[in-house]
Amino acid sequence: MVRVTRAWLFLLALSAGSTALSVAVAEGALAGILATLGGAAILTLAWAKARMILNAYLRLDEAPALRRGFGLALALYALVLLGLYLAG
Amino acid sequence: MAEARSAFDDLPGDLMIWVLIVSELLVFGAGLAAFLGVRITDPAGFAAAQDHLHRAAAGVNTVVLVTSGWLAALGAQAVEAGRLGRGRRFLAGATVLGALFLAIKAAEYGDMAAAGIGIETHAFFTFYYLVTGFHAAHVAAGIVVLPLVAARARAREVEAGVAFWHMVDLVWVLVFPVLYLLR
Repeated sequence: MVRVTRAWLFLLALSAGSTALSVAVAEGALAGILATLGGAAILTLAWAKARMILNAYLRLDEAPALRRGFGLALALYALVLLGLYLAG
Repeated sequence: MAEARSAFDDLPGDLMIWVLIVSELLVFGAGLAAFLGVRITDPAGFAAAQDHLHRAAAGVNTVVLVTSGWLAALGAQAVEAGRLGRGRRFLAGATVLGALFLAIKAAEYGDMAAAGIGIETHAFFTFYYLVTGFHAAHVAAGIVVLPLVAARARAREVEAGVAFWHMVDLVWVLVFPVLYLLR
């Protein structure tokens, strides 16, 4: 299976996972600290999807030094979003 | 004497398209961070406002856009391999899915307008309309760009057009959870 097809399937699976988590929170299946952890997991899945698009779709996996740079910037940004979410 | 290699020599595609991609990511990134920053002042109001959004439609749109990106990537690979007809078909599929994304988004905006929800209804909706509207404008640009580069089917141009499309995809996978899913 070609790399972009694996990436596509991975992206679909992660999108389904984040939607399922959101539904669980919205319908009260996850409450309190579990709801907060669910939100953190949704952001973590978003970070994983963004990494996959950069590396597979935009082909940064062919440029290891740039992949590391983009990966670091994206990870720091995801941490900023997580911090703002947890503060809310 | 040979020139020292730069990390940018390994960059897939033109440097300028990457400058554009990074610029756009910074703009959308700042918008989403500002959204979560303002949410701190009224988390209950933001959660109540979010309940008016169509999560299922946005979920479908995520599948549509991610699949469109996959077709665009396959199209770029086919053109690079010299299989121009196959490449054009993949790019046409990516364009059709882009148009479907916009149609679903337009239906969502129509429902919101019918419910009397506008940009000034709540701070949540100010960010919602600005971020998703700006993103939709990029999708609209993409569905113009993709057929243009597909028609000429030159590998370098297709790669640049498809990279733009992936940027649109990348922004959406961040916008979707932050605006539609986070409680």
